[in-house]
Amino acid sequence: MPEPHPTRRTLRLGVCGPVGTGKSSLIALLCRELSAELEIAVVTNDIYTDEDARFLRAAGVLDPARIEAVETGACPHTAIRDDITANLIAVEDLEERFAPLDLVLIESGGDNLTATFSPALVDAQVFVLDVAGGGDVARKGGPGIERADLLVVNKTDLAPYVSVDHEQMVADASLARDGRVVIGLSRSDRASVNRLVTWVRGQLHRQRTGTLVPADPGPMARHSHSHSHDHGDDRHLTEHHDHLPLGTTS
Amino acid sequence: MASAELLLMLLADARLPVAGHTQSAGLEPALRLGLAPDEVEQYVATRLSTIARVEAATAVVARHHLRAGLSTSVVEAAWAARTPSPAMRRTSRAQGRALLRLARTLWPDDAAVATVSGVPRASRAVALGAVAAAGDLPARELARLVGYDDVQTVASAALKLLPLDPSDVAAWVLRALPAIDVMSADLAHLALAEDIPASGAPQIEAWAEAHARTTRRLFSA
Repeated sequence: MPEPHPTRRTLRLGVCGPVGTGKSSLIALLCRELSAELEIAVVTNDIYTDEDARFLRAAGVLDPARIEAVETGACPHTAIRDDITANLIAVEDLEERFAPLDLVLIESGGDNLTATFSPALVDAQVFVLDVAGGGDVARKGGPGIERADLLVVNKTDLAPYVSVDHEQMVADASLARDGRVVIGLSRSDRASVNRLVTWVRGQLHRQRTGTLVPADPGPMARHSHSHSHDHGDDRHLTEHHDHLPLGTTS
Repeated sequence: MASAELLLMLLADARLPVAGHTQSAGLEPALRLGLAPDEVEQYVATRLSTIARVEAATAVVARHHLRAGLSTSVVEAAWAARTPSPAMRRTSRAQGRALLRLARTLWPDDAAVATVSGVPRASRAVALGAVAAAGDLPARELARLVGYDDVQTVASAALKLLPLDPSDVAAWVLRALPAIDVMSADLAHLALAEDIPASGAPQIEAWAEAHARTTRRLFSA
């Protein structure tokens, strides 16, 4: 039986994806949207210690003491996957210092399409692409694009300027993901922001009710997630997925 | 119980999840603040006769104290007195914490690991003493581990920081091995905290302090 962290109320949410797709902006957006209702902290893993941390501090959306920068020795992929020690210690320190936290956001250093979080570090993970990176990226696939808990296609407002059909990009991504959630996001599109915030609240609810079992997106090839054990929580989990808003953009 | 040789391989392997990839053994600030690229091999030798020597001796003495049922607090204090840079003490204690986190998974019932885990902020050297006690790693192998890890940490960070041929860097490591053997033979018999050598490296300590204050770091230390 999966026993997802019965003693921990904090949701650890990873944010991953290539450089420049808007991971820091997405985290700043979540802090802005949710800090009135949730106790939040952030761990960053930028190439140089604290570029992302500085960005977030400058955004003024979170007490700077709640933003911890972790050095990865130019190994951002390692720090979220093969050796999560430094990040885990940072997360635990924040959870202890600001207890009780509701949400810890862990931002990976911008990496390639194969990087995903270890399920030992995060409870759920978001993979971020943007329209400016090219309309074909979603079709290329990869573990994060295909199997992260949420795929965000960011900066949809820029689509006309980079000659990308963002609705097609979201449709391609949805096809590659077997119905897993895709959100086309733009900071200036209120409905898309609401969808993102609703998704995060949903993950937090599942964490609180003990139905969130960390799922590993990769890097291995696709495998079935239909567990052999007959467990009510899993059925609930699937239903929950089905009810989440699929990636339409306005 | 596995052989000491195999345990040593496990502990010396860069794939061991103890955040080793976050460390440059002070090389990043050294290069930024004046060490020339062609001096890195000498930097390795300097560390082996100073900072790594203190750390290896501390680990050996901590191992002895744990096996004899003695408190490690005097060992920790002796190491701290020989490590005047607060930044280096913080780094070592962060590494100690990472190592003990792993050790509790590898040896969940071990008394030495439990004892040192219960001490607030144990240094990496004392944590290594606990690991050696838990895995029955002989003192000389423990000292070798400290020396070898120090050399490889500099070497792998050098590959990230400088335009080097990785084969040349592996050759530095090979050339450093005899000095590691000499050092570990010197230190393996130590049992008393007062016998830990006080071989500091003030320039490396000053660089460590400067590194702790910069905001542009690839490596934690």
